[in-house]
Amino acid sequence: MRTGMMGVTALRSHMNLAASRPSTNRGRRPLLVAAGFLCLGVSAADAGQQGQHLEKHFAVNTRPVVVIHNVANGRIEVKSWKNAEVDVVASQTSNKIGFDMEQAGDRIDVTATILDAGAQPRELEASMQLTVPEETELQLKTETGLIYVEQVMGDMTLESVAGDVHLKEVSGYIIVRTTEGSLVCTQCAGKLDFKSISGGAQVLQPALTNVSLFTTAGNILFDGDFVRTGLYTMKSGKGLVEVRFSGNDSFDLKAQTATGTVDNRAAAYLKPDSHGVKHLMSKYTHGLFGSVGQGLAKVELSSYSGTIRILKRD
Amino acid sequence: MQCKDVEFVVEQEGLAPLPEAARAHVATCSHCQDYVADLATIVAVANELPAEVEPPARVWVSLQAQLELEGIIKTPVASAHGERSSWWLGFSDLFRSRALATATVGLLIAFAGVMQWQKQPDPGLPRDSSRLPSVPSWQIPFAQTAKVLNEQEVDLRNMQLAGASTAPVDASFRQNLQQVDDFIADCEHRVSVAPQDELAREYLSNAYQQKAELLSAMMDREGSLH
Repeated sequence: MRTGMMGVTALRSHMNLAASRPSTNRGRRPLLVAAGFLCLGVSAADAGQQGQHLEKHFAVNTRPVVVIHNVANGRIEVKSWKNAEVDVVASQTSNKIGFDMEQAGDRIDVTATILDAGAQPRELEASMQLTVPEETELQLKTETGLIYVEQVMGDMTLESVAGDVHLKEVSGYIIVRTTEGSLVCTQCAGKLDFKSISGGAQVLQPALTNVSLFTTAGNILFDGDFVRTGLYTMKSGKGLVEVRFSGNDSFDLKAQTATGTVDNRAAAYLKPDSHGVKHLMSKYTHGLFGSVGQGLAKVELSSYSGTIRILKRD
Repeated sequence: MQCKDVEFVVEQEGLAPLPEAARAHVATCSHCQDYVADLATIVAVANELPAEVEPPARVWVSLQAQLELEGIIKTPVASAHGERSSWWLGFSDLFRSRALATATVGLLIAFAGVMQWQKQPDPGLPRDSSRLPSVPSWQIPFAQTAKVLNEQEVDLRNMQLAGASTAPVDASFRQNLQQVDDFIADCEHRVSVAPQDELAREYLSNAYQQKAELLSAMMDREGSLH
C-alpha cells in the first residue's frame, strides 16, 4: 500500500501539467515530475505543452472503479473495450486547468481542477475521453459539459449541473443527478434513478426493471417496453410526462395530477384494474387507474401542474 | 495494590507516570501489563487522529431540512422574536460534539413523539411566511424548513454580491434556484387552499429537498472559489 501511495504522489506531480500552478512544494516539483516521467513513460513533450492533451493507461484487474471530477467546462466520454486497462485522454485549452490522476488498486481517480480562479470560461475547457473495461463502475461529476457513456456495464453515479447526460447501451444501477442537464438513456438496462430541477429525461428502448424519474420543471418521455414485475415511477412538477407503450406490455397504471391534465390516448387498451382492486382518486387530484394486459408491471405517473400523456406506440 | 486499584489509578491519573505501588503491581501482573499496554496503544492511535473539523453551516441547514421533511421533527413556530434562531444555534452547538450527537438525535425523536401526541398548535403564534399572510404559520407545511432555507438563501446572495460570478454554472444555479422558489410558492399556495392535497404536499416536500441540495451545492462552490 505504501509503495502504491508513493507511486500516486509521483503520478500526481506528473499530471499537474500547468507550470503556473501555485504550490507550496514548488521546489520539489522538478524532481517529482522527473520521477513521474520515469515511472510512467510519458514523453516530456506531452506534459510540457499547454493546451494539449495527455494520455495515460492504467492496468486494472476486474471491475475497476473510475472516479472523475471535472470542475472545468468540457465533455466526459466513456466507452468500453475488451482490455483490462483504463485509458484516459485528457485535453485542455489553457494552462489554467490542471489534471490530477491517481490509481489505487482498481480505483482510478481523475480530477480536473481550476488553477486560476480568474480565468475566463473559454480558458476552462477540459475534455476527457476514457476507454474502460466493459464491466466498470463509474462516478462522474462535471459542471457544464456533456457526459456520454456507451456500452459500459456496472453501477454508475453521474452528476452534472448544466451538462446533459447521454447513455447508450449501459446497464447496472444508474444514478443521474443534474440541476439543468437532461438525460437521454437509450437501450439502458438495470435500474435508473434520475433527479433534476429543470432537466428532462428521455428513456428510449429500455430494458430497465426499476425506473425512478423526477424533475421539477423538465419533461419526461418513456418510450419502450415495461419489463414484467418492473416498477416505474415518473414525476414532473411542471413538465410533460409522456409514456409510449407497446401492445404487448402488461402493467398497472396510476396517473394523477394536482392541477394539470391527463391526456389518455390509449383508452382502448386501458382497462379497469385487472387485480380487482378498487382505487379511489383523491378529490384534490385527478387522473386515472387502469391496467394494460395482465397488469404485471407497476407504472406510476404524476405531475403537479403539467400534462400526463399516455399513448400506444405504432 | 490489586488489579482494580491499578485500574482506578489509571482512570484518575492517566498512564504516565504510574505511582510506585502501581508500577510494582504491574511488573508482576500479566493482566495489568496487558491492560496498560492496550491503553497505551489506544492513546497513541488517538493522538494520530486528525482534529475535528467543524462542519459548515450548510450541513445544519440540510440536516434540519431533512429531519423536518421526513417528519422526524415537526417544530411549531416559536412563541416570539428570535427564539427560534437561538434554539437552532443551540441545536447546532449540541451537534458540534460528536459525543452528544447521538443523544441529541434521540431527544429530537422523543420531542417529535411528544409533538405528535400533543398536536395542539398555538393560535397566537406569529406567521412565518410572507407569501401566505392569511394562513396561520402552524398550518404552513415545513414552515421551519422554509424559514431556515430562506435565511440561507439570503446569506448566499450576499456572498455572491461580494463577488458575482459570470460563469455558466453559476448562472445555471441561480436560474434553477429561482425556478425552485417559484415552484415552492405555487405548491404552498395550493396547499394553503387545499391542505388535504397530498400530491401537492409531496411536491412541496420534494421542492424543499431540492432547494436544500441546491443551496448546499451553491455554497460548496462559493466556498471553493473564495
